[in-house]
Formats: sequence, C-alpha cells, structure tokens
Amino acid sequence: MSNSGTRKTREQIEGIFYPKSVAVVGSNRVKGTVPHDIFYNILKDNFQGVVYPVSPKEPSISGVKAYKYVIDIQEEVDMAVLVFPSSVCNLAMEQCGQKGVKSMIIISAGFKEVGEVGLKREQEVKAIADKYGISFIGPNCLGVINTDPYCHFNASFARRMPAEGSIAFLSQSGALCTAVLDYAYAKNIGFSKFVSFGNKADVSEIDLLYYLKDDPKTKVILLYLEEVSNGRALMEAARTIIRETGKPILALKSGRTNEGALAAASHTGSLAGSDEVCNAAFKQAGIIRCNTIEEMFNYAIAFSYQPIPASNKIAIITNAGGPGVLATDKAIKEGLTLARFSEETTRTFKKSLPVTANIKNPVDVIGDARADRYNAALSASLSDPDVDGALVILTPQSMTEIKTIAEEICNISRGFTKPVYASFMGEMDVMEGIHVLEKNHIPHYSIPEDMCQSFATTYKFGSSLAIKDEAFVPFSDIDKDAASAILKEAASKGRTYLPEEEAVKVLEAYKLPVLPHGLANSKEEAAALGDKIGYPVVMKVMSEDIVHKFDVGGVQLNINNAEEAKKAYAGILANCKEKMPKAQIKGILVQKMVKNGEEVILGLKRDAAFGHVIMFGLGGIFVEVFKDVSFKVIPCDKTQIKDLLHEIKGFPLLDGIRGRTKKDVESIIACIQRLSQLAVDCPEIKELDINPLIVQNRNEGCYVADTKIML
Amino acid sequence: MERSEVETKVKGVIARVLKINEAEISSDANFIFDLGADSMQSMQLVAAFEEEFDVEMEEDKALDVQSVAAAVDFIKSLVDERN
Repeated sequence: MSNSGTRKTREQIEGIFYPKSVAVVGSNRVKGTVPHDIFYNILKDNFQGVVYPVSPKEPSISGVKAYKYVIDIQEEVDMAVLVFPSSVCNLAMEQCGQKGVKSMIIISAGFKEVGEVGLKREQEVKAIADKYGISFIGPNCLGVINTDPYCHFNASFARRMPAEGSIAFLSQSGALCTAVLDYAYAKNIGFSKFVSFGNKADVSEIDLLYYLKDDPKTKVILLYLEEVSNGRALMEAARTIIRETGKPILALKSGRTNEGALAAASHTGSLAGSDEVCNAAFKQAGIIRCNTIEEMFNYAIAFSYQPIPASNKIAIITNAGGPGVLATDKAIKEGLTLARFSEETTRTFKKSLPVTANIKNPVDVIGDARADRYNAALSASLSDPDVDGALVILTPQSMTEIKTIAEEICNISRGFTKPVYASFMGEMDVMEGIHVLEKNHIPHYSIPEDMCQSFATTYKFGSSLAIKDEAFVPFSDIDKDAASAILKEAASKGRTYLPEEEAVKVLEAYKLPVLPHGLANSKEEAAALGDKIGYPVVMKVMSEDIVHKFDVGGVQLNINNAEEAKKAYAGILANCKEKMPKAQIKGILVQKMVKNGEEVILGLKRDAAFGHVIMFGLGGIFVEVFKDVSFKVIPCDKTQIKDLLHEIKGFPLLDGIRGRTKKDVESIIACIQRLSQLAVDCPEIKELDINPLIVQNRNEGCYVADTKIML
Repeated sequence: MERSEVETKVKGVIARVLKINEAEISSDANFIFDLGADSMQSMQLVAAFEEEFDVEMEEDKALDVQSVAAAVDFIKSLVDERN
C-alpha cells in the first residue's frame, strides 16, 4: 500500500518501469557524480525511449541538448528522475507536475532520514505529487532498473546494468543494491526488475509486490527490508502473490533488535520480540526468510532456473565419496529422501559404470570418471520414476573432464522436466565448468550442503502451495459485549493492567475454561469460598499495583482446609504489606487448584508492525530457561494453530512421548481459537498471559490457572 | 547602503562565481534550481559575499539562504548591523 493509504494501480507502477520519455532533472557534466551518472547510465545502457537532461546552466550533457527547466521541453515527458539537492526538490516537483509528468524517481537524499527538516521536505514533495497525481519511488534511493529489452531502462547510479533474468529485487537499502549487483554479475545472475525504494514516501514495497505478481518477466521476488511498516499488508500481498501465481518471495530482513521486548510486562511481551514476530509472520505468509545475501541467491537461482520438484525423492551423483556422504547427511536433515532406483536403472548403472562404482543412491561414479559416466548416471537417474530431482557433485581430478561434464549436465537436463542442480567443488580448476552451468541455468553451489538446502527449500515451498487457507469461523457462544465493557471501563480510568480477578471475567466471556474462583475480603470469606469451591485451593493477592504476585509472596498453593485458608489470607496480606506497603489490595482470590496436568503458556501481544500475535509454549522451566515458544499472527486457522503447537521442541511431551499419557491437545487448540477471536474483537488488549494453562489427559480438557491482561 | 545597491553588487558576485551572465539573474532566482550552483559554488559564494561586503556570515545561516532576494536581505541586515 502506498503512503497515500491506497494501493497504487498497475498502470501507475508500469509508468515507473516502462517510460517512453524521461527527463533527468538536475543533471550536470561532472563525471562520477550522481546527477551526471544517472543520465549517462540511461543513455549508455540503450534506453528504448527518449531521454532529456535538465540542467540549470549546462547547454548539453554527453552530447545531448539540455533544457534549463523540464517545462522547456516541447515534447511529452512520461517520467522524471530527480537528482537535485533535497532543498529544491519541491521546486522541481512542482514543475514536473505542471509539465504533466506522472512518474518520478527521487534519487536525492536529505529527507526523512536526516531528521525533522528532511521530514518536512519529504512531506512537501509528497503533497505536490498528490496534487498532480504523480507516483514516485524514493526519495533517498539508488534508482530503478528494468532489463526488459522492450524498455531497457537503467535509471540508477549503479556501476553496471545487470543482465536480463527472471529475478526481481526490491531493496530498502541503496548501497546494498550495488553490492548485490556486483555479486550477481560474478555469478551470471540476471534480473527482471531491480528497485531501490529508499524512504518509500509514496510507492511502497507493497505496491511493487502487487505489480510483480502480474509481471510476466518475474518468476522470483527478492526483498530486502530494514523495517516493516505495515506487516499485515505485507503478509496479505505475499499470500496473494503465492496463492495466485506460485511465485516465491525471499526476504532478507535486518534490524533484529528487541528493545520493545525489554519493556514488556508479560511473559509473552518479553518473549515476542520484533524479530520472533517477523519470523512467524513471514512463515505464515509463505515468505522464505533468508539470513544472508548468499542464502537468498542460493534459493533464488534454484527457483528461477529449475522447476519445483514434484517430491522430495532425489538422486545424488558424485565422483567423490566424502562429499556424497556430506550431501546425503544434509539432504536427510533437510527432509529429502534418497530415491530407490528401479531394477532397470540399476541394470543401466551396471552396464555403464565400473564394478567399483556404488550404484546405490548416492551414486558414486568414482574419482576417475569422465563425462561418459556422468552422462550415463544422470540420464538413468532422471529416467527413473522414483527420482524427482538430481544433485550432481564433482571434484576435479587430473582426468576429470570438467567443462564437458558441465555441458553434458546441461544437455541432459534439457530433456527432463525434473530439477537438476550441481556442485563443482573447488575454485580455480572448476571455474570453466561453473560458467557453463551458470550460463545454462543449472543452479550451482560451491558446497553440496548449500545445494541440498536449496533443493529442500524449493520442495518445501512447492508442498506448501497445496495447503489451502481455511476460513476463520467465529464462535457464536461468546459474549463480546461483556469482555469489551470490562476492558473499556478499565481503559476509561486510565488503567493499563487488569489483575486476574478482572482478566478471568474477560476470558469467561469468551468461554475459556477458567477455574471456579471468588474474591475474599476477610479470613472468614476466604474459608467460606474454599469450602464452597472445594479443596485444594490456591490463594492470590489481587492488586493493580502488583503485577508479579509470586515475587512478593502474594500466592499460596495447596490450601486444603478452612484453617489453612484463613492462615494463607493473613500470610499473603502480611507479605504484600511488607514488600509493597503502598499497594492497594482489592482482596485475595480463592481459586480451585488443579494438581495434575502439563503446564503450558498461552499469550497475546500486539506488535507494532503485524498486530496481534499469539504465543504458545510449555510452561515452567521450558519458557523461563529454554524460551521454547512459537508465534503466529492472528487470526490463524486450525492448521496454523497445529503448526504453532508442533513448532516448539517440547511438543512430544504433550503428545505421549516414551509412554507418557497423551494430553488434551484439542482443548489447547480450542483455547487458542477463542483467544484469537478475543484479540480480533478487542484490539485494545496490548498483552495477555495465560500462565499456566493446565492441560489434562486426552479428552479431559484444560484449565486457566492464572492470567493477566495489559492495555 | 541602499537595498538596490546591495542587490547590484550581489548579482555581480553571483555572475562572477557561477560564471553566468548578470542579466540572466532575476531577483527571485534560486541559487541551485535556477542558477545551477553546486555545493562547492555555494561555499564560494558565501566567501565572495563576505569579501565584497566586508561582513562575516554564520555558515549555516548563509547556506540556508536559497534565493537572490533572500541573499540581498541577509547581506543588507549584516551591513546595517556593522554600520
């Protein structure tokens, strides 16, 4: 979504990528400066339209007649690339509007990124753009490149224009773009569109993503982000692109800080740092998050060059035993399976390979293999119905026909619809072969483990395409008004914390399984409540001033009779008065105690970028020490909730590992669904903890043993 | 010094530093957008104005001045202050 609040149309973005006439406004003759190099790049990189330099005092630039003002150009101008200093961009923008320019790229820095003065300038140019209906990329960016021969537009100050390809790259960082272009050039990787979107004052990454969805030149989308400003819109765009087109989105997201989490008051708040939430959201939206540029391009070439594998069954062909084993280990770890060759394939291997060769998977064609053995092994493997992809490994011996083997791999690959990847290990000796592979779009990896990981990533992505989103079905038995009334009442009084006594009422309204309870204001009332509820009970101090009750001795467990209840009442009051003498105490909550069951934690947190997220983990030591928790952005469907549960390492403890009794996982799922609806209905909830939720054996339910809500 | 006298001198300095015809300099011209001054030339202009009018300019304030008219006002205020 653009920063106008509405999404840009396809035509508006098309105008940025496919202009017919371009003015470079603020250009000059000084080589090695941005105003000169932008104009020169458009000119030298064979732009298929017309380009006009606009310069206040130069009569011509690079032999092309220059204009003092954009309004002096007689012909129509589709696009303007603004390279003036930020202080006069408003003047240039105004003239561009008068001229009828509809698309712009503002390269200039000195806007929002430099503080208050820059922010005002940015707002001013945005207002002028809105007045004239101009869509613009930037400011503070490297520019835009479109390699489509129909336009061939390099409006950037990158050192070189990349080759044509099917990978689109969108980046919030301009400097990273030039590094990526250099990296890609060395590996013969081409691009369809290349955009540095800078401060995204107008056109955002969301607008660009929707455009790329329908761009026939783009098969894979790469995204570099430093901050996510509208996480929900990003998730929706990604889901739409993946669902409608099957185009993968690979994202590199920097800025893994957790300042927000440090200030949180709940367990959920402290564990749900921005990076954890981002991870969960990307996964939920189908975005493949990468940790490095290299990893991103490892996956990108796999998606771009080869088909997505039909299954996880692979053949590994190698001339080196050790690397074959390394590849096998990694493949299995990543969820791939070594295919079982048919009798026919085995017969072919026996005929074509020496007796010393290993004809089981991984196929070892032996160190002295020449091209004929690779040819036989790869052809037979790909012909085998149990094989859905081949990974070829080569190490360079004295007799290894490196270039010929690379050519054979390319030729054989063309005859199949199954993916083929290669790993020619080494550097100098294998270089010639690697170039052949790269130019023929066989994904190449220097180490076999990266090859396996990339293959597995494409397989997992392909499998995920088959999973359909389930519709969110709201519960009809909830009392939204009752919950809202409690929350609004608290908010109207400026309160930010709802102690358990009130939080429980909110949960009750959403039919979460709270335990029988009551609030006592005297020893006698505590004993009477204990008698009524039935022992054992737990007693807890209720005070808006005491968030962490255990820390002040505000909780007593295992109270088994009326006398103990009276003692506990007095003891809790004494503890709290000693530790927090100024705390206003509303009473002591007496609650049924559940002794048996597995403790888990459920939580909600409202994330600035993605909205409400739900957290799940095992309680006690698992959450305190191991931080074994998982997250989903809500609302999430039942399949996603099951994922949420399975994502924690400790899930087998609920699932009956080593003879343990299986716990009632279905009841946890129901709680999460109801909690999810609560968050959707009540956006004012900032954080919510249910810690613990005590889960009984299968079909016996679960109970909310403690809860709190932050507004 | 009269404002018109300051303006005439200012335009002369601009023409000399930016190597442009004095007749092409309008009073409301922007140094960058209309006259094509780059950052180095902006610094040179400040130095030339200081010398021409025998005044000292605060660099930040001087570089904030964007148009010929604003420069005339700024310099006249400095000259008046000095006198």
